[in-house]
Amino acid sequence: MTPNLALIGIQTSAKRGFRLWFPLFLLWIPVLLLAPLLFLALLIVCLGKRVNPWRAIAVCWAIVCSLPGTGIQVQTPKALIQVRVL
Amino acid sequence: MNENRRQILEMLATEKITAEEAERLLVALEDAPSTANEGGEAEKPKHCAKYLRVLVEANKNGSPATVNVRVPMQLLRAGVRLASLIPRQAHEKLDEAFSKHGVPLTVSQIKPENLEELIEHLDDFSVDIDAAPEGDQQAKVRVFCE
Repeated sequence: MTPNLALIGIQTSAKRGFRLWFPLFLLWIPVLLLAPLLFLALLIVCLGKRVNPWRAIAVCWAIVCSLPGTGIQVQTPKALIQVRVL
Repeated sequence: MNENRRQILEMLATEKITAEEAERLLVALEDAPSTANEGGEAEKPKHCAKYLRVLVEANKNGSPATVNVRVPMQLLRAGVRLASLIPRQAHEKLDEAFSKHGVPLTVSQIKPENLEELIEHLDDFSVDIDAAPEGDQQAKVRVFCE
């Protein structure tokens, strides 16, 4: 399952902060539009490094699809920063 | 009603045992852990770890800081496959760099099936590191699966 949303939250010690929701699924639109160029660039790089381009695409796709559920939280006395991929 | 209980009640009904003995057997049956499958009961499914958690609690000069990282196991599986993309000519250089830093790791031997076997045994995996305080600095690191 591809990641759909990214949550970024920042809160300072003064109880001020913000929370942003990024609709990651909207990124598929430019990716699909640039897909031929991206594929060509990937093909050239993979052939230059002697790497199977199809395996590279499969690995990258697997990494992208396994991102949902990832979370990072850093808390200090001055700030709280949260990043979550849903 | 499981098989053992039925047998005890049948023996009581046929007067092979007394009521007192039947009661003792039933109590002993309740206390004993069940080890065999009975009546088609399904085994408890093995819990598979889904996330790798890393918790770091540090205290420097009186300022506490915590880092909480949660990584899906699927991401680890996909990350292992990255090793297959590394060109062969780079394997030797990577192995040399790892050994120089004291990490006895051979990149070419990292395979997805090895990671699967490791993940299967990660249910009870837990690492707790409590660094000895040095002056005003103290740190705790906890790594576990959930």
